[in-house]
Amino acid sequence: MRKLLLILALTFACKKPPEPAKSNVTVGATLPLTGAEARIGGFYKEGYELAFEQQSAKGGLSLGGKLVPVTLVLQDDTSTQATAVALADQLINSAKVDALLGTYSSHLVEAQSAIAEENRIPYVNGGGGASEIYQRNYKYLFGLMAPVELLGEALMGWIDDQQSQNKLPKPARISLVWENTAHGKDFRKGVTAFAAKHKGQYEVVVDESFELSAKDFSALLNKVKASNADIFLADAHLPDYITMHRQYVTAGLCHKVISYGARGSEKQAAEALGQKNVEYVLSAVWWNQQLGTKGLTKAFVDAFQARYKRAPEWYQALAYETARALFTAMEQAGTADKEKVREKLASFSGDSILPEGKLSFPSAQGQQAHYAFVVQQNQPDGTSPIVWPKAVANAPGVAPNPDCAAAQ
Amino acid sequence: MRFVELLVAAVLLAGLYAMMAYGLGLIYGVLRIVNLAHGGMIMAGAYLGLALHDRLGMDPLLSLPLIAVVSWSFGWLLYRFVVRHLPRGATGGAQSLLLLFGVWLVMRNAVYLIFTGNDQAIRTAWSTHAWKLAGVSLPVNRVIVFGLAMLALGGLHFLLTRTYVGKAIRAVAQNPDSCTRAGIDVEKVYALTFGLGSALAGVAGLLGATIFSFNPSFGSVELLKSFVVVVMGGLGSVAGTASAALVLALVEVFAILVLPSYLTGAVGFVLLVLVLVLRPGGLFGQKVLG
Repeated sequence: MRKLLLILALTFACKKPPEPAKSNVTVGATLPLTGAEARIGGFYKEGYELAFEQQSAKGGLSLGGKLVPVTLVLQDDTSTQATAVALADQLINSAKVDALLGTYSSHLVEAQSAIAEENRIPYVNGGGGASEIYQRNYKYLFGLMAPVELLGEALMGWIDDQQSQNKLPKPARISLVWENTAHGKDFRKGVTAFAAKHKGQYEVVVDESFELSAKDFSALLNKVKASNADIFLADAHLPDYITMHRQYVTAGLCHKVISYGARGSEKQAAEALGQKNVEYVLSAVWWNQQLGTKGLTKAFVDAFQARYKRAPEWYQALAYETARALFTAMEQAGTADKEKVREKLASFSGDSILPEGKLSFPSAQGQQAHYAFVVQQNQPDGTSPIVWPKAVANAPGVAPNPDCAAAQ
Repeated sequence: MRFVELLVAAVLLAGLYAMMAYGLGLIYGVLRIVNLAHGGMIMAGAYLGLALHDRLGMDPLLSLPLIAVVSWSFGWLLYRFVVRHLPRGATGGAQSLLLLFGVWLVMRNAVYLIFTGNDQAIRTAWSTHAWKLAGVSLPVNRVIVFGLAMLALGGLHFLLTRTYVGKAIRAVAQNPDSCTRAGIDVEKVYALTFGLGSALAGVAGLLGATIFSFNPSFGSVELLKSFVVVVMGGLGSVAGTASAALVLALVEVFAILVLPSYLTGAVGFVLLVLVLVLRPGGLFGQKVLG
């Protein structure tokens, strides 16, 4: 009997005491606020801050029927992997944050998420789209950016529709150039897989990668010119888009369809290149503010416009939705406990501002969200209406590029 | 036709490489200092041009003289107040490298504070214009950069061979001790040369900014390319620098015919290693500002 009492006493003594209710939930994040990705990092900061402000205005997170204030600890990872990793470690082990929101750019997310996984802390990001990040089968990593492969597929979807209307030749010759990164490789995979599936309709005549942040593209563009392609598809970050397209224009190139992947509609690019030179550039993005005609999306667009006095772009939308997904998971879990929040995120399924209106993190895809990209095309009046998919399109798009005929 | 287009692209690219490398080569040739702040001067020239263009509406070509003067003054002051206090010779090498690298970091962070880290671009009426010559496109901004690079080559050659100041620079480069005995103010020549090298870097930065988008990291890749050009050209040789810029541009541009595009940037560094192993004095032999 004595032994039994002793065992029971030891069992109760060793049992972890119930966790005291949290008085504050702290979420850590780093963003590239300086360095090569500083501009985009600033956009993500706006999205995060809006989400936190809205949640704080509600009194915080509703955890187990009690409102708990939620704060963001945001640091600058200077667009470098080493700093992103060091700061994540510091946020987890020194600042003792309850969860991490991801940084921007695939290569930073890839490095930083490994630290979150080691420390078993939920890492929700809207800045890493390369599918290889999610092929590592991490348990604590959740991504809101649909794979870049789908970006290539979405562009090809619109092109295919134009070809079926006899607006583009069959077979159409494609010049495909992509940055030599995980992002670029996924883009290439999406385009080439689509072309392979539609035998006889497409012929990839140039398939070349280029160095990220390269300065001179004249030799590469010379190869593109020599290929006599109908379609020019590139995957580039914003600085490379500006530099490459400047050289594209001065080299006298013009294609029936031209795209720089996710880049194309940025105001900064139009300023740097001239509105005329970005006409009819096609781009596919994770989100477009024109989707905001009702519900959650409209509420986000209105709130963003009220706060920042301008329309949001996909960067801010992804960041906002990333923070919102984490808040929702914590509220559904009723706690900020890392394991419970992770479980809730893994089974997450909720309304979203993202294109298909629903968000989930399918385990078959390594917990990376899957949804259709929105294809938009720059018009001479400076607008970029949605041209694909048909379900959300508000303009048919123009092909072939009328400027080429005018130039000839 | 494709060969001609590639050749034209290489020649125009060489103009930019030469423009970026003259200043680095000149300072090394005379002071025997590897000026790591050269990258910072290139970046500063770009941002100064941006400020003049965006705030005063000044065309980059019109702001060239102003940027040259400002960069020269900065270089002169940098020498008078910082670089001249460094020990010379083998022992001073590491100190000058560290100090000038520090200057570059300070410049970069100052630009972050003033302009943020956002990518910038200077757009002029001729940024996206090209002339057509026998079916070959000649981008106006690159032709201008090439023309200015040729002008700088001619100007430097004239300065160094036909003027008293130039002869003094060459004499100091060969033997500063003898020059002191002959009554040449060596410190003044050093300050003048450091200023001249800085002015050339500032102008190169401005010209680069009319072609590329840039941020505070601008100047890093340019410094590396300049280093390759200067070493290949033979340290201290202005004409060698121009010729090496052409060789580097030709190799990089024509490499696309046999290599994937993303590897063409590395070809220059392979060339650098080959030159250092096979012709340590540079492709055209070591000269002192001849």
